[in-house]
Amino acid sequence: MELISLKEVSVKSKIALLKELGFNSDGEYVLDSDGNKVLDKYIEIPVKVNNMAIFPGSTIILDNNELSLSLYLEEFGDDF
Amino acid sequence: MISEPIKDLGEGIGKGAVKGALEWGENFIKDLAKRFKEKGINFIEDKNTLEIAREQYNSGELQIYKHYIEDKNKLMILRMGLVLRKLERLGERDRKQKLREDIMKKYEIKGLHVAQFVENGVLNRYIGILLDDISSIEKFKERINEIIDNIEKYVLFVKKDDTERFILDFCLRTTASNLSMIFIVSGMGSAGEIIKKVEEKLVALLDNYELEKMSKGNNENLFFKRILKRL
Repeated sequence: MELISLKEVSVKSKIALLKELGFNSDGEYVLDSDGNKVLDKYIEIPVKVNNMAIFPGSTIILDNNELSLSLYLEEFGDDF
Repeated sequence: MISEPIKDLGEGIGKGAVKGALEWGENFIKDLAKRFKEKGINFIEDKNTLEIAREQYNSGELQIYKHYIEDKNKLMILRMGLVLRKLERLGERDRKQKLREDIMKKYEIKGLHVAQFVENGVLNRYIGILLDDISSIEKFKERINEIIDNIEKYVLFVKKDDTERFILDFCLRTTASNLSMIFIVSGMGSAGEIIKKVEEKLVALLDNYELEKMSKGNNENLFFKRILKRL
């Protein structure tokens, strides 16, 4: 599966992508369709637009940190 | 806008994207979303984060730990210790601090201490000391798991604000109430300096232990090994 880096991508484009995927943003944090901050499922911190990882399936949005990504790989396998 | 493929996006995927601050065009975003929904792509802020996480997963050190530790949570904490070590080597101070906070959030202070125990190489030295006196693999496994489960009984992680008095009292109290074969005093940075200053007094205080030191850079670790007296 292809992995696309968001590092050089503008916040505006990231937000447009989030909207296309059914999410939103207040400019800093990722919001769900109800306007609530999306929490990283492993460490339960709000995910920021400038530090997110988005995985398919049921669309999991995580904070881009080594712990959450490791836990994700452990749960869903390393398919990148 | 200047239309130019984004180099970082991999073969084919940059088509239709536009340069600038890497602004993506509307159609390009729709195409990405479509491919995402078809489970063909993932997005990540920084690929290095994933690379480092993956690298430690495949490390020989972790494979060795897996022989003796089965619990997945424990293994994940050990793995994060290896990641902390890697980030320190890379000079990635901010990322390391962020990861320390994430570990603490998930596994509390005890988990962070275990990760730090791995990061500074103390777990490996502890295993080495156990190997000197191994009676059975089962006993060996039991003792490694015991120190991870009860790290506060075996290791004092000195903090930069700890006083000499506190360290001496803590060590005396802990070694008196817990007759462990090995007791460790560990600290990094300014905490390492505090340990250097208090070392002589600790040696005098813990007179039924012999000292083995492990120092590296600003990392100071004192292993006190209980002296077995002949009856």
